[in-house]
Amino acid sequence: MDAVGLFGLAAASGLGRGTEAQLAGALSGVAAFAPVERFDVGGRRVRVAATLPDAGSLADELADVIDGACRHAGLSAGQRADCPLMLAVHGPPGVRGIPDNAGVRGVPDGAADAPRAAGESWPTTADLATSLAGRVGLGSVARVYTSACVSASTAVADAAALIRTGRAERVVVAAGYLVESDQFALFDAGRALATDGAVRPFSAGRTGLLLGDAVAAVVLEPVTALRNRVPGRRARTELARLAGWGRAGDAYHAVQPHPEGHGMARAIGAALRRAGVDAGALGYVNAHGTGTPFSDAAEAAALHRALGPAARQVPISSTKATHGHTLEASGLIELVITVLAMRAGKLPVNAGFLAPDEACQLNVIVSGPRSVAGEYALSVNAAFGGANTALLVQTS
Amino acid sequence: MSARELAVVAEARWPDAGGLTDAGDPTENRTVPPVPGFVLSSFNPLVAELAERCLRRSYGAPPVPPDFGQSLAMIVVSASGDTASARHVARAVDSGSRVGPLMFFQSVPNSIAGHVAARWGLGGPVVCLCPVGDPMAEGLAQAALLIQDGDATAALVVLVEQSGVDGQRATAAAVLVDAVSPIEG
Repeated sequence: MDAVGLFGLAAASGLGRGTEAQLAGALSGVAAFAPVERFDVGGRRVRVAATLPDAGSLADELADVIDGACRHAGLSAGQRADCPLMLAVHGPPGVRGIPDNAGVRGVPDGAADAPRAAGESWPTTADLATSLAGRVGLGSVARVYTSACVSASTAVADAAALIRTGRAERVVVAAGYLVESDQFALFDAGRALATDGAVRPFSAGRTGLLLGDAVAAVVLEPVTALRNRVPGRRARTELARLAGWGRAGDAYHAVQPHPEGHGMARAIGAALRRAGVDAGALGYVNAHGTGTPFSDAAEAAALHRALGPAARQVPISSTKATHGHTLEASGLIELVITVLAMRAGKLPVNAGFLAPDEACQLNVIVSGPRSVAGEYALSVNAAFGGANTALLVQTS
Repeated sequence: MSARELAVVAEARWPDAGGLTDAGDPTENRTVPPVPGFVLSSFNPLVAELAERCLRRSYGAPPVPPDFGQSLAMIVVSASGDTASARHVARAVDSGSRVGPLMFFQSVPNSIAGHVAARWGLGGPVVCLCPVGDPMAEGLAQAALLIQDGDATAALVVLVEQSGVDGQRATAAAVLVDAVSPIEG
């Protein structure tokens, strides 16, 4: 069994472009939420999100971070050609087309009502993935995840499983969501969005989530591959080790999390067991923490169930308070920020915190950034369907 | 392990060929009932019905006994996704008309997977995929990966495709699988 390492990272979000902007933004605790100008929000109850002002198309942004992560990992053209892509995006894009130069056949504006002949197919998220792989020189597409807010974290866990068992030598995982009119309308209609312009995870007075842009990519490899690197080529740096991962379901409700956090606790437990790490060794938890009243309380319950007494000790924050909920990209942008923070030795503040909530008795980082104590960090995600994931990273 | 090392426990298909059991009973109810809380689209009722048929054949009535259900994964595979719901929302947004809150809950395929998981007590991973190649092969490969990795001991794979063309029939298939032999990590 090979250990799994992260060797390249790239990201952009409402916090800015590049990994430095992600770290600086998360550590600053300054939220990136601003009035939405990308599309008409005049009919919406809530009108703010954390968008990247100069964002291109989703395909262009994804191509940029995938290329950036491959460069960061020092991959040659030949290594890219042997490497599969795992992609996490919202599906299906077909009703709006893929409006860019991705090389995928698009659908004209107004496509939601456009008549089509029987047998004519719209582009799928798999078409987007295949096109992306071609643009950045990756040899194949291994999987395309449409599992809502655990899409990216599930992709990372699956990539790690393939590498650990020797079935993949290297995997690029990429994920993206750019705030757009349809999901914004749905979250607004579902009254899921914060009404006071701020995301306040685990805080008294929290009113909901706010959406945000994010694209991110990581390169995962077996740590043993370092020994086999090409002589004369620059030695690549293992940025962090993916020490453990877990995925589990709540078996509770179509969209609500289990109030006692059953599935999330089992996902966290699986991640710790795979790594052989005790809860007491955790130095940080980057929480799912959407700022939604019911969901945050369920997550707090899950952390207590999984970590026991350590749940009151381990420093915890949700970086969604600064970059927003980035849906299918959440698991990856939050993993990237977790790795960057642990490597920098500073933990992001839980922005927007007003006062403790009895239902969330956790060691929330309310001022900071706080110094890191420990080498292990958890990144936790949950989604509709009672889906839960936990990723455990080790930095030293 | 590979998908070839999975044992098929039960299968279902929509539309099915029809037929009779050995006892002379019709093999299928030829209608798909609605699912409370899910509207406008065949996507969610088809996932629920195909899942129901597979699970009933194996376990009778819900829930699956906890020893089995706790680690039974739910995998939904669809290239089209819920095109009918997505088109409905896009039309509403474009025309400035109201988007109903129920559409929020069915905006991702996870929701119906979670509905099935809750009804039958399936506590394994919930995964939704857009297939790059053969949908059933990818669903089974995902099942094999989760089982070998230890987060699942069995998986229910449901494929569903909407045509995106008014009046054309959606199709679906489901298969319940577990490992042929104990998995070595």
